[in-house]
Amino acid sequence: MLIHIEDVFVAYGSPPRAVLAGINLEIQEGEFVCVLGQTGCGKSTLLRLILGSEHPMRGRILVDGREHRQPDRTRGYVPQKYSLFPDKTVLDNITFGCEVSEFGLFGHLTPTFYRRRRQLRAEAFEYLHRIGLRECDAKKYPDQLSGGMQQRVAIAQALMTKPRILLMDEAFSALDPGTRRGMQQLVRDLWKATGTTILFVTHNTDEALRLGTRVIVLARESADQGSRIAMDLSVPAPCGDAEIPSLVRRLEVVSESCAL
Amino acid sequence: MSVGFLLIHARPQRAWATILSWFLFAGGIAAYLWVAQARHRENPEDRVTPTIAQMATGMYNAVMQPAEEDEAAPPAAGFYDRLSHSMLWKDTRATSRRFLLSLALLFPAVLLGLHMGLFPYVGAFFLRFVLFFDKIVALSLLPILFIAFGIDELSKVMLIVIGVTPTIILDSFNLTRGVPPEQIVKAFTLGAGDFDVAYRVVLKQVAPRVLNSIRLNLKAVMLFLFAGEMIASTDGLAYRIALVRRHMGMDVIIPYVLWVALLLFLVDLGMRTINRRLHPWFHEA
Repeated sequence: MLIHIEDVFVAYGSPPRAVLAGINLEIQEGEFVCVLGQTGCGKSTLLRLILGSEHPMRGRILVDGREHRQPDRTRGYVPQKYSLFPDKTVLDNITFGCEVSEFGLFGHLTPTFYRRRRQLRAEAFEYLHRIGLRECDAKKYPDQLSGGMQQRVAIAQALMTKPRILLMDEAFSALDPGTRRGMQQLVRDLWKATGTTILFVTHNTDEALRLGTRVIVLARESADQGSRIAMDLSVPAPCGDAEIPSLVRRLEVVSESCAL
Repeated sequence: MSVGFLLIHARPQRAWATILSWFLFAGGIAAYLWVAQARHRENPEDRVTPTIAQMATGMYNAVMQPAEEDEAAPPAAGFYDRLSHSMLWKDTRATSRRFLLSLALLFPAVLLGLHMGLFPYVGAFFLRFVLFFDKIVALSLLPILFIAFGIDELSKVMLIVIGVTPTIILDSFNLTRGVPPEQIVKAFTLGAGDFDVAYRVVLKQVAPRVLNSIRLNLKAVMLFLFAGEMIASTDGLAYRIALVRRHMGMDVIIPYVLWVALLLFLVDLGMRTINRRLHPWFHEA
């Protein structure tokens, strides 16, 4: 069991208003889980709990059998915005994770650093090809790339450190539909190739069904109660275009009927 | 189709824009010359508005002759020898030294702001105090500084530090807080430690904005420096201006004021160029 979530409760604000209540979830190694729900239902909160940047008020979250107090290398992260470091080139962004975790603050003063950096750069170029960027993009700064390209680099950056789990928070929500379809294909291919467990948060039902092997719907039963898992759907094979409209309708009924 | 030439949609040609931008300079100089001439016609001994020739002589003496309080240069001294013992060089060197020392002392202020913004305990410890300190009118502390530190270099540098550091600390604090939390979380998930996040992610991102904030505060640095020099000093550009004022030496004061403005402009230009070279990714909003 890679992720084990046990009776988690989270509330925000004063007076506290429940966001998540009684969440129980188990995620196996190698699953591609999409978390679906309407705005404000706590799907990003759930992701931040697994990330370790927030902590539950009750219950516990075990990743790889351990509770984590802060984000670390086992869990990669691709947010919707600000996913790349603006002061580093594409190549430096991709190699940053390995450089920073292998060498300390003054590590670049040692000759081994430069030897290792050559290896890392070669590896980064491989990722660059895999995500569909050209060699000449390596020297660019993030704001010289389109939104879709930036998210591609962000995925490569997160995969470079080989995390056990990749957490993606509305990673494609700022992209236009055409770019989005290409990105979904890319993530699906990378997931197959690397076998990384992926937890993907989205509010787009269509996207969730195309990506995941499992779709979890979060929804509130009433306005003053926290969200629970309203549906846990297994999608063993990627959905064909024909099945999607009916499934989308089914899931949206669940997600909307609860949000009253 | 014509657009009114003073309206928002007017598009002046480059040449016109350039001419217009120099217009006030030309007008100011012309007005000065006119006033100076008129006053000199009435009273050839006028000291308030020296003519260009008088200012040139005053400046030549400042550049080539030692200050009144120093020994006269030997008549055989060469050009560079005279220049390096001149009044202007002596004053500029003294002021620059204090100025650069103060700039160097702003560096720890940036680091303190960074740590306050990132580490909650550091922020809790310093923030309220710095906010309070920021509200103290630094010039009102001047007498206290002279009493406590004496009238030598330390009190002048302390005045600048007390006057400018709180602003720089609070600025870097706010810039640090402005870094999106996603960036910090991302860095941790890539394996960075706390100090990697502080120096390799956040500091590098805020550096160009911090440099700009220091550039904006250069004037404040100069202001406090001049206040200190005018009141208690034996050399420096502001000391000279205050000294020469006693016998209405406008022929030295006006060139000195322009020289200070030029120096400050060059420092600002230098910092802007360095900023652009060091941070090619940064685009000023």
